[in-house]
Amino acid sequence: MSTERKLLVVKDLATTFHTPSGPLAAVGGVSFDLNQNETLGIVGESGSGKTVLSRTIMGLQPRNNVEVSGSVLLNGFEVVGASEKEKRSIWGLEVAMIFQDPMTSLNPVMRIGKQIDEILRVRLGMDRQAAKAKAIDLLDLVGISSPAERYNVFPGELSGGMRQRVVIATALAGSPKLLMADEPTTGLDVTIQAQILNLLEELKERMQMSVVLVTHDLGVVATRTSRIIVMYAGRIVEMGSTREVFARHRMPYTRALLEGSPKVSNPSHTRLLAIPGRPPNMLNLPKGCSFAPRCSFATDRCREERPELEAASEPGHTFACWNPLPVKERASA
Amino acid sequence: MSDSTQPLLKVRDLTVTFGSHRRKLSAVAGISFDIYEGETLGLVGESGCGKSTTGKALMRIVEPSSGTIELEGIELTTKKGKDLRNFRTRMQMIFQDPISSLNPRRRVKDIVAEPLDCWKTVEGAEREALVNDLLSKVGIDPVAYGDRYARQFSGGQCQRISIARSLAMRPKLLICDEMVSALDVSVQAQILNLLEDLKAEYGLTLLFIAHDLAVVKNVSDRVAVMYLGKICEIGPSDTLYESPEHPYTKFLLGAALEADPDSPIHGDVLSGEPPSPMNPPSGCRFRTRCPNATDKCANEEPQLVEIATGHQVACHYPLSTLARK
Repeated sequence: MSTERKLLVVKDLATTFHTPSGPLAAVGGVSFDLNQNETLGIVGESGSGKTVLSRTIMGLQPRNNVEVSGSVLLNGFEVVGASEKEKRSIWGLEVAMIFQDPMTSLNPVMRIGKQIDEILRVRLGMDRQAAKAKAIDLLDLVGISSPAERYNVFPGELSGGMRQRVVIATALAGSPKLLMADEPTTGLDVTIQAQILNLLEELKERMQMSVVLVTHDLGVVATRTSRIIVMYAGRIVEMGSTREVFARHRMPYTRALLEGSPKVSNPSHTRLLAIPGRPPNMLNLPKGCSFAPRCSFATDRCREERPELEAASEPGHTFACWNPLPVKERASA
Repeated sequence: MSDSTQPLLKVRDLTVTFGSHRRKLSAVAGISFDIYEGETLGLVGESGCGKSTTGKALMRIVEPSSGTIELEGIELTTKKGKDLRNFRTRMQMIFQDPISSLNPRRRVKDIVAEPLDCWKTVEGAEREALVNDLLSKVGIDPVAYGDRYARQFSGGQCQRISIARSLAMRPKLLICDEMVSALDVSVQAQILNLLEDLKAEYGLTLLFIAHDLAVVKNVSDRVAVMYLGKICEIGPSDTLYESPEHPYTKFLLGAALEADPDSPIHGDVLSGEPPSPMNPPSGCRFRTRCPNATDKCANEEPQLVEIATGHQVACHYPLSTLARK
């Protein structure tokens, strides 16, 4: 494991927003790393801190009322504490991000080709003609038919799936080593979602990138990632190889996520595993384990003392729970 | 779901057309289906296929352009005024966004009591008791939370309140339009289980409209698949998911992501995007994206035909007949 060079090393990363109602620890101390050419999934419900985490890794937090501590080492570059100017030297070239809403991540009054050109010319110093040729190549790469004509259309003339392809082309323009994809397929229809996920996988192989796939949808990460991180209330509650976490998860919350989502392969009217309540108020987190108020296994210790990540049987699989599920339990049980 | 009984809801050739004669869009282009008492019919399709418009047309929230809707044998499309309002108490709808479908400045008790007050069916202590009962049934403590405002509740709780409100008049049919798609997984499971419980308790019949194939299968006895304003396949949910007959259904199921690392990734992903409903293709509406399309598909529109008991498909070349060749 140590022989492989880590592309991304995140250590004790915490992002706290200072709100009028007090400090809000959106990300409360998160550590993980990412290998080259690996796809990592970050899963969690709304408010679990997955989006703030991915933005903090990018260095995209707001300027005011926010405090970031810990370290994000991206290919040797320390993101935490870096100035805007320093960060600009990695954005697009080392790391790029695609966002959930392809409608708002493009400039509606700028032709799509120009939006790709911009990066090539400003960041890579290409001249107008070379940039145009490269932009057309990129449009072709992301599967947009007749790219030379489409170069001149406005985002409004394209469908959601097409727009997401353009966003991906823009992100790939600087050949980044890491692509952060925050809910890249959430607003899209299933057949279009499958197209975009296949495209991302193909491009990852072709461009030798690492991808961080942030999503609430376990179906998206199940077959597309090698490792996953499960987040709850700003912290990692379970992490490990995707197969291992799906088959032998130890944290009751992971089980609730897996068995609470309906499956196409289950017969009709399958009773779902429903946990009571909802995610905690981030301004007023419980003292011990954040999941304790909803957990049927919770004891006094869970309510008093926060569990740290501990190792499971498989190397790399860790979970944070005082009363973990028994080892032999499988997802299918 | 016995075949001998009359359907509770009978829809024939329903069309909904928006726009004027020059720019006409048939959101629903002639669909027919039945819903039998006590069953759940799932309606799936991608955005823009007309599934929500279908639900709204049944409630006459949007006016059908033609076709008939019969509830318990009584024709609804010609009803007007008080008569129509009266019929709407037999049929209720739950919407996607639970927060915006409740008035944030009203108390929960009053929201649930509104239909009772409109129709003055019960009053005084009886009304109070009924409201409390409805709220407890959906898992909201009427004593602790009944006097709170809708704005003080989360999305999942608001959806519970919407359900309580829709049940106040004891409707026969509940139309659920994407009712769990705005909710997180852990809350979605609660609401889906609640819906199943209430269906049994109140003897409800459901039309469950959603884009999520796994969710639809979970709640439905039968499923109808829509594409560009038409039903392309309808059948018992387990059969339809196991052996789809329409190529579109097969692609749709292949694209559904299963939360299982061992599930296969389907290489054959449907290419392209649905054509504009402003200008639908001639013949079969799916033919522009269908790998099996022939000239016949362009010239002749396939009608829904029964291929097995209760399983209908609108395709000239159903998949099981192709396999046999």
